[in-house]
Amino acid sequence: MPAILETRGLSKTYRKGSVLIPVLRDVSLEVCQGEFLAIVGRSGSGKSTLLNLVGGLDTPTGGSVYVRGVDIASQGKAGLARHRRGTVGFVFQSFNLIPSRTALENVSLALAFGEHPASDRARRAEEVLRSVGLGHRLGHRPGEMSGGEAQRVAVARALANAPDVLLADEPTGNLDSATSGEIAELLRGLNDDRGLTVLMVTHEEPLAAHVAHRIVKLHDGRLAPQERIAGRSDPKDRREAS
Amino acid sequence: MRFADVYRLANANLWRTKLRTALTTLGVIIGIGALVSMVSFGVGIQKNVTDEITENELFTALQVTPADLDLEGIMSGDVSAMAERREDAASLDDDAVERMRDLPGVTLAFPEDRFPATLRVGERETRASVQVLPAGIGLHSPFDELSAGRFFETDVERSVILSPRVLREVGFRLDAPDRASGTRESGAGSDRRTVSADSLLGREVKLATSVIDGRRLALAAVEGELPVRQVETTLTIVGIRERPTGFGTASFASDVIVPSGTAAEIPRLDFTSAWDLLRPDGLDRGYVRVHVRAQSMQDVYSVRDEIRSMGFSVLALADQLEAFRRQFLILDTMLGAVGTIALFVASLGIVNTMVTSILERTREIGIMKAVGGSEGDIKRIFFVEAGTIGLVGGALGLALGWVVTRVANVVMNYHLRPEGLAAVDLFHMPAWLLLGALSFSVLVSLLAGVYPAARAARVEPVEALRHD
Ligand SMILES: Nc1ncnc2c1ncn2[C@@H]1O[C@H](COP(=O)(O)OP(=O)(O)O)[C@@H](O)[C@H]1O
Ligand SMILES: [Mg+2]
Repeated sequence: MPAILETRGLSKTYRKGSVLIPVLRDVSLEVCQGEFLAIVGRSGSGKSTLLNLVGGLDTPTGGSVYVRGVDIASQGKAGLARHRRGTVGFVFQSFNLIPSRTALENVSLALAFGEHPASDRARRAEEVLRSVGLGHRLGHRPGEMSGGEAQRVAVARALANAPDVLLADEPTGNLDSATSGEIAELLRGLNDDRGLTVLMVTHEEPLAAHVAHRIVKLHDGRLAPQERIAGRSDPKDRREAS
Repeated sequence: MRFADVYRLANANLWRTKLRTALTTLGVIIGIGALVSMVSFGVGIQKNVTDEITENELFTALQVTPADLDLEGIMSGDVSAMAERREDAASLDDDAVERMRDLPGVTLAFPEDRFPATLRVGERETRASVQVLPAGIGLHSPFDELSAGRFFETDVERSVILSPRVLREVGFRLDAPDRASGTRESGAGSDRRTVSADSLLGREVKLATSVIDGRRLALAAVEGELPVRQVETTLTIVGIRERPTGFGTASFASDVIVPSGTAAEIPRLDFTSAWDLLRPDGLDRGYVRVHVRAQSMQDVYSVRDEIRSMGFSVLALADQLEAFRRQFLILDTMLGAVGTIALFVASLGIVNTMVTSILERTREIGIMKAVGGSEGDIKRIFFVEAGTIGLVGGALGLALGWVVTRVANVVMNYHLRPEGLAAVDLFHMPAWLLLGALSFSVLVSLLAGVYPAARAARVEPVEALRHD
């Protein structure tokens, strides 16, 4: 399987006065096309930092992120914006929806920044919302929805511009266990049914084991030796089996 | 991101904080309102004066004076010009007037000539200054408009043109629009007859002038006073004309006008003739001033140079035009500066509103960046917000300025207008002022948006999205 996404020697160091705080150290990682990769680790281990670097929301102090072999930093800030717009889709723990806008408007906003034709935007927004099971909540604002519904809107928004990789940072962190399961199933379904590449961060190892093909562990900003934590079978194996 | 999307986002943001947006816009409205009403006052005054000059054909008018009095030098503040008398000065006599009349591009040349006289109508009389004018001036402003009757057809007809004011003094009140007396109705008006202007046409009046009795001049030393005798001349009223009151019409502000040929036959005692009596040669009737009209603006300068080369001083109002325009530019700039200060205060309001808004919307900016918004997109959204405030504030400011100037015009006309004068529009809002003020409002607002927009674009998405 070709690597769609790759990090090489990625590090991030914060500076507090004269003290250097290394948050991420020399992280090299490959994500294959169609793979569901989970990154686990304790709180503060650097998972979000890694995901933000991969998503082009933050810039590393060392190393690089490659998409199909191309350094995402090579095209400057505009290139990073393009990366966030078209290559990745973000789902956050705290949803990060705009409270004053309806589900449809939140999804449309992402489409407005993307390349989707303006005339088709409303139809496309509705389409992705239906695909995550929210056809009946189009006109609702985030405050009028349950946590699970809000996170579905966030997933729909992340999917709107048809990204290559879905980046999910603790997508179930703010949800009760039943709803967590639903969101996990949704992500797994997207991976299974559409072959969407997913990179998910979580501190819940059982959840990761349930949805991911492969799990890597971060410990104090370092990738733990590639110990294989039991996940689902490889997408390749699965495809061969079916 | 397309402009339509940027505009929609900016607009939605402005609507979300209606009160704040309204107050900020109000600042711009007041600033632009102040700016346009101030400048439109300067422009209005200038327009009034310029229109007056153009209407009265003063740009084609030249005033010729003897060169021994350097009028131009005095006008430009050179006091020494007054003392410096030129000995070789050409005399401004009938011959000189004739030569000016013959110059190409000259339509009219006549001396300024006035003399005092007593106007008698029936039993009543009044003192008046009589102005002597050629019939030819009747084609030109301000003599081409009379309240009644006509101007002189020949220079020798025995006619007179009177003003309503002098007619009032001899007991005739005109029923035509005559504001000055209309406001002061009193008992004194009882012996005045209200008549129509037309009914006075064709009526005979007498003009009494004083002359020195030459035969008794020898006795003057013995009697201790000049032997003066009065001579009456009978003239027919052919026209009634309001005394002009506008700018630059002082030379033509007269109550009694007589044609030049007729005036030459009226015996009179004026300074020139008194000098004639005392001077040995007795013939040099030099005029104080000669009025010349050029055919067009283009002829003014060549005519001016020709007359100068004849050895006279020439004053052309057209010469003053440039200096005049410059002075108004200074006035407009000063008035505009006051309005601009108001607008700059308003622009601080925009900066304040936008920065506050960015602090509140940090998370939203982070979200926009996370879903693919570039720094340019974010910048444009805030620019358009600022620009919209400037455009809407500017447009409403123009409306406010218009209302203010209309009200101020009524109030100022009511309090400041001299009696008997028609209301004038003291304010003028030409298209360039409206468009200029609107563009200025948008420009200043966009400038006010530069810092907030840059600040919004710099928001770090990771910081903005960090969950609380
Ligand atoms: N701006 C920052 N300045 C200093 N330290 C930071 C900053 N952002 C994150 N960190 C630190 O980096 C570490 C990793 O953070 P994070 O990636 O959010 O961990 P995780 O998502 O695994 O809980 C934490 O110890 C956090 O305190
Ligand atoms: Mg985290």
